[in-house]
Amino acid sequence: MDRVILRRLELLNQLSLTETQKDEVIAFFADRENDAKVLENIDTSNVERMVHVMPVMTVVREDIPSQPFSRDDLQKGAPETDEGYWCVPRVVE
Amino acid sequence: MKYETVIGLEVHVELATQSKIFCSCSAHSYGAEPNEHVCPACCGMPGMLPVVNKRVVDYGMKAGLMLGCHINRVTTFDKKSYYYPDLPAAYQTTQWFAPVAVNGLVEIETSKGKKGVRIKQIHMEEDAGKLVHDIREDTTHVDFNRTSVPLIEIVSQPDLSSAEEVVAYLDRLKNLLRYARVAECEMAHGTMRCDVNLSVRPEGSDKLGVRTEMKNMNSIEAIKRAIEYETARHIDALENNTEVLVQETRRWDDIKGKSFAMRTKETAGDYRYFPDPNVMPVVIDDNWFDEIKSSLPEFPEVKRERYMSEYGLGEYDTEQITKSIALCECFEEAAKTCGDAKNAANWIISEVMSILNLRQMTYDMLTVSGKSLGELITLVSGGKVGRANAKKILAAMFDDASINPEEYANANGFVISNDTGLIDKVVKEVVESDPKSVADYKGGKEKALMALFGRCMKELKGNCDPQTLRKILIEYIDKI
Repeated sequence: MDRVILRRLELLNQLSLTETQKDEVIAFFADRENDAKVLENIDTSNVERMVHVMPVMTVVREDIPSQPFSRDDLQKGAPETDEGYWCVPRVVE
Repeated sequence: MKYETVIGLEVHVELATQSKIFCSCSAHSYGAEPNEHVCPACCGMPGMLPVVNKRVVDYGMKAGLMLGCHINRVTTFDKKSYYYPDLPAAYQTTQWFAPVAVNGLVEIETSKGKKGVRIKQIHMEEDAGKLVHDIREDTTHVDFNRTSVPLIEIVSQPDLSSAEEVVAYLDRLKNLLRYARVAECEMAHGTMRCDVNLSVRPEGSDKLGVRTEMKNMNSIEAIKRAIEYETARHIDALENNTEVLVQETRRWDDIKGKSFAMRTKETAGDYRYFPDPNVMPVVIDDNWFDEIKSSLPEFPEVKRERYMSEYGLGEYDTEQITKSIALCECFEEAAKTCGDAKNAANWIISEVMSILNLRQMTYDMLTVSGKSLGELITLVSGGKVGRANAKKILAAMFDDASINPEEYANANGFVISNDTGLIDKVVKEVVESDPKSVADYKGGKEKALMALFGRCMKELKGNCDPQTLRKILIEYIDKI
């Protein structure tokens, strides 16, 4: 974290930090980076990967297609549609 | 300096399920209206939760076992950040940390012999939607019918070194996955897609060169051309400094015969993979695993050996039939029904495959049952139906698989007549109407007899035993 990145975050999040606050934020993230480096140095090669924090598993459903939702209902909130398509600003030249 | 090409493939295969991977919308959008098969889940609406389609996991496991992989008994889904209009949630649900299958091996055969290609992993994921750019100039139209259609991505290690090996590898994948009936694998239909990762290095070097990834190849031939072009481009850049090679994704333009830079290659970090909190781990218990393992088909090479030893088929016939599991099943059932395996093989190779080719159907689209084909063969070998009419019955069976050959033959007048009175009558009429051919035959021209025979058979609509007709015809002419 440096002042350039922090400035971008300020703009993205519509924040306005004082100089003191900026120093505090930069120092805070520098500490967290150091924490991460400590974790990176721990040898986990013989540790089994934790799949999930709880002993849970997904439910599955049978492969049976059902009637889809009404397209008109789904597109009610769309800014623009055309012949069943959603429309977005052109993404290729 | 001599160079060698190093190629790894990422092959996307659309799984042959009825519904999508995380919702119940139909997975078949061919011919559908835009956004006809969509729901809030596959449209990425906030708050919607995915529910895993069991058959996708079944097929992922089956594919893994067919390709010699280890199956991860706890497999998880992850989010891959990708911001583009064809992906409404702005991430793809895929597998990164614990894919369903890992560490496989596929054997291929080329003109240089046999070779093993290592499979790094097979992961299950959802497809993206389709973007249409040519309806209006200022707008991209978005169709989410394909969004969330289930895919597996098969990632190979960089063990391939030529277009010939790549083609052999893709053929082998197609063959194995079709045998397991998990996918259609038809590049022309978009149900199999392939990205080629390619680099070039001095022969004998163990250091990999700069790698480029090529997309947008829609056929095996296009893949071959793309590999040949890209290999030449890399060597040219290294030998003549024509350009600086960079790691990037390139688009193949098959009409221009060139690849073009699309974007600098992303790395895994760019996608910000993280475990999908909306899909709990998929746990494959022993019962589930055993059920899938026991449902695997006999492998093609095992089948080939068996066909030659058990049925006495030749190498060519065996090779043709084992191209498709549907042909194999049809053959085995037909052979059992008619009791003549060689005859059943001949019918499959000469008649069934030619109708499939004529109708531009893949072999796996065969719907004629082996039992019906066997019954038809029995009718022909038993002298009840002529070969020409049997072909007509077979064509009708392609249109309607429920047709019973014997009933159809009876209903359409295709049963060979034993009425010698009718044959005598037809022979008399034909011979008396063509004295020239009779004279030619008597003068030693065998072809003239064939012409008369053909006319008689036509008059009898093919419903006559050829040997009987020939005998009556010759006897009648000899009496003149």
